[in-house]
Amino acid sequence: MREFITGNQAVVRGALRAGCNYFAGYPITPASSILSDMVNAFAAGAGIAIQTEDEIAAIGQCIGAAMTGAKALTASSGPGLSLYSENIGLAQMGEVPLVIVNCQRMGPATGGATATGEGDVLFARHVTAGGYPLPVLAAADAASAYWLTYEAFNIAERLRTPVIVLLSKDISLTRQTVDLAAVPLSQRTDRPVASLDATYQPYNITGPDDTPLFSPIGGSQLVRFTGSIHDENGLLTTDRTKISRKLTHLRDKIMSHGEILAYVEWDCDADATTLIISYGLADGAARDAVKALRAGGAAVSHMTLYSLWPVPERAITDALSPRIERVVIPELNIGLYADELRRVIRHVPVQSIVRFDGGVISPQVIGEHVTCIGDLAMQAREVCACPS
Amino acid sequence: MSILTAKRADMCYCPGCSHGMVLEQLGKALDGIGVPPSRVCIVSDIGCIGTADRYFSCHTFHGLHGRSITYAEGIKRRNPELLVVVLIGDGGCGIGTAHLVHAARRRADIKVIVCNNFNFGMTGGQHSPTTPMDAHTTTTPDGAADQPLDVCRTVAVNGAAYSARHDAFDPQMVTKLRDALSTPGFVLLDIWELCTAYFVPANRLNRSSLDALSIQLAMPFGVVHEGPVQLGATSHNGARPLRRRAPEAPVEEMVARIPWPGRREICVAGSAGQRVRSAVGIIGEIAVAGGLYAAQQDDFPITVRRGFSISNLIVSNEPIRYTGLDSPDTVVILSSDGLARFGPLSRLKPSSLVVAPADMPPADAASTVHILDLKMLERRAGKESVALAALTYALIKAGLVSAASLNTSANALPAGPYRQSNLDAIIEGITLAENGRSAVDQAPP
Repeated sequence: MREFITGNQAVVRGALRAGCNYFAGYPITPASSILSDMVNAFAAGAGIAIQTEDEIAAIGQCIGAAMTGAKALTASSGPGLSLYSENIGLAQMGEVPLVIVNCQRMGPATGGATATGEGDVLFARHVTAGGYPLPVLAAADAASAYWLTYEAFNIAERLRTPVIVLLSKDISLTRQTVDLAAVPLSQRTDRPVASLDATYQPYNITGPDDTPLFSPIGGSQLVRFTGSIHDENGLLTTDRTKISRKLTHLRDKIMSHGEILAYVEWDCDADATTLIISYGLADGAARDAVKALRAGGAAVSHMTLYSLWPVPERAITDALSPRIERVVIPELNIGLYADELRRVIRHVPVQSIVRFDGGVISPQVIGEHVTCIGDLAMQAREVCACPS
Repeated sequence: MSILTAKRADMCYCPGCSHGMVLEQLGKALDGIGVPPSRVCIVSDIGCIGTADRYFSCHTFHGLHGRSITYAEGIKRRNPELLVVVLIGDGGCGIGTAHLVHAARRRADIKVIVCNNFNFGMTGGQHSPTTPMDAHTTTTPDGAADQPLDVCRTVAVNGAAYSARHDAFDPQMVTKLRDALSTPGFVLLDIWELCTAYFVPANRLNRSSLDALSIQLAMPFGVVHEGPVQLGATSHNGARPLRRRAPEAPVEEMVARIPWPGRREICVAGSAGQRVRSAVGIIGEIAVAGGLYAAQQDDFPITVRRGFSISNLIVSNEPIRYTGLDSPDTVVILSSDGLARFGPLSRLKPSSLVVAPADMPPADAASTVHILDLKMLERRAGKESVALAALTYALIKAGLVSAASLNTSANALPAGPYRQSNLDAIIEGITLAENGRSAVDQAPP
């Protein structure tokens, strides 16, 4: 059944499909409709949804609920993600399955509440103290907002980690034509649960990339949860061996699963000398640009990144066939992810097309840049698509 | 076996600190009410008292500074059968004041034990929100100047079921704790303690002078508030029933596909209150139901009910990847606000079509312009219908869709409170376009 829905509505549908049963949030443009839709979705008792006094309380309630067994979701925009920051670290340290949707807006601080922008792509990864990784997914349209929200729950459950899903205003609030029933989804995953055992240890792992077995707070076996550095029993520790084991685990359980977290779409032309890599709102323009370029006889390859963190390095290097002479990445920020690509892609130039004034990058701008040849065009590090 | 698994002497607290004594009494109180440890969750805040969770054999949750109440609420909401006890210091009541007040307002069924020793012990004796006026701390070397926070009265006036203030040496403490833990609703105990590391030596406070401090601050010991118990949403599974919005009807696919020329960009530029976005949404729904692809993107200021309201619609025979509008094929101007936001019409393609009101004929359009008497339309169709009628008119005049096809498709719109008025507006637009009544066509300059 085809529908005409916003990206935010797609988020709600994806969350409900994944089994989300707890939502707490605070109103903010352009994420507010997720809050009101979740309140309505759970009004008959299928779950619990609450508007809290602030974003800190929202994520705090989600973390508490998640540790009783809930599949919890919170949603906000950049200012709210800033307030989630400390609790995202708690969710990492305590190994809490949690999905956080960030409907990005333009600029820092209050920025442009009703203007689009995708400037949180590095912030999402580095949102909390300590530097430990967390998965970050980026929707490109309503359909991908649906399946990425669904998959975010699966990742959160499987790895017991917070997962961030990025949208931006023009994805959140744009109504698009989607057929959700036709969107392929992986099998629904629930967190690994401990059997009832008198010797239950809430943070016991068999190896650094293992996920500790879950037992709910309130269940028959006692659970000790802490945001402080702890041993397998959830007790504070100063034992360097145990500290190292825990923190290595926080790194490895994400990074060693980089391959299963890598959602990309590669549209390869074997003759291409240019590879366009795109994510988020710029992806639609990139797809139209590729179509127009090919119609004009040009050979070009394209990769969509739905996973931003961990950086899908293998997929990216696989796409760098020997003929590729340059990589072009359009971004609705000051060129943030391009530097990440430059870290991965060393032998050919990575060229940015950037725009950060609340407007979008058009297929024409991308097409013109790709067809532009000559030394200057080939060496350009950055092209700005903002009006001058 | 007691729920408290450590002896006072084995706890981490400084000699003479009241925390160990209070924890012993809390352990006895919890043992006394007969709730099994698997039905108790202790949520500890940060600070010296935040280390206490490890001394209890029950579910424990140790999170961030000031946020213990938020975790407790999440846990209680999901699992109403649990006895959820928060252990928090006076510092936590400062950084988390908002949560304290709002949890009380929500009548969250949690029991908050404030271990109040008037300063930050763990970080070196800085002043806290409950530091008495003139008291010396490392950050008020000349005496504190601020009014101390009365946590009992604060929660009492904001929905708490029960709040009481006791000194840590109260011989009846176990009974008082047990009664508090057994009281339904939001319960807070403010327990005045001695911090022997910092506050006691700096202020010559001792066990007997706690009474004098209580009188000096006009914060008497005993029950501060005992109200009728009203449980909030945390006492049952979910919020109060809401007036539900009408469920969104999925767009039913029509049998007949609407003939459409290809990707076309349509912009309606008006003002808040003109139902611009809903008019464009209805045409989008009709397009999707008719087998086409649509994308609707709105532009509006952060406030509602005033200022511009622009809604853009792309309709295509193919999936729409790029949802930006670069050069609209059809533009409907409904107000000067909308036109100002849209910008110069001179940037439109010559093939574009503009519909503009009679009282503001555009001078700068290089494309075909149709002038529409919006005032007359408003009189005929009603103010709420102007945007949809004008958009329908524009679509037909632009040759994007036939009146017959649009009429058929509109009639297949799903039931809803506005179905009939939407249909009327579309028919009004079709009539206008077909017989030109009240509309004057203007050739391109």
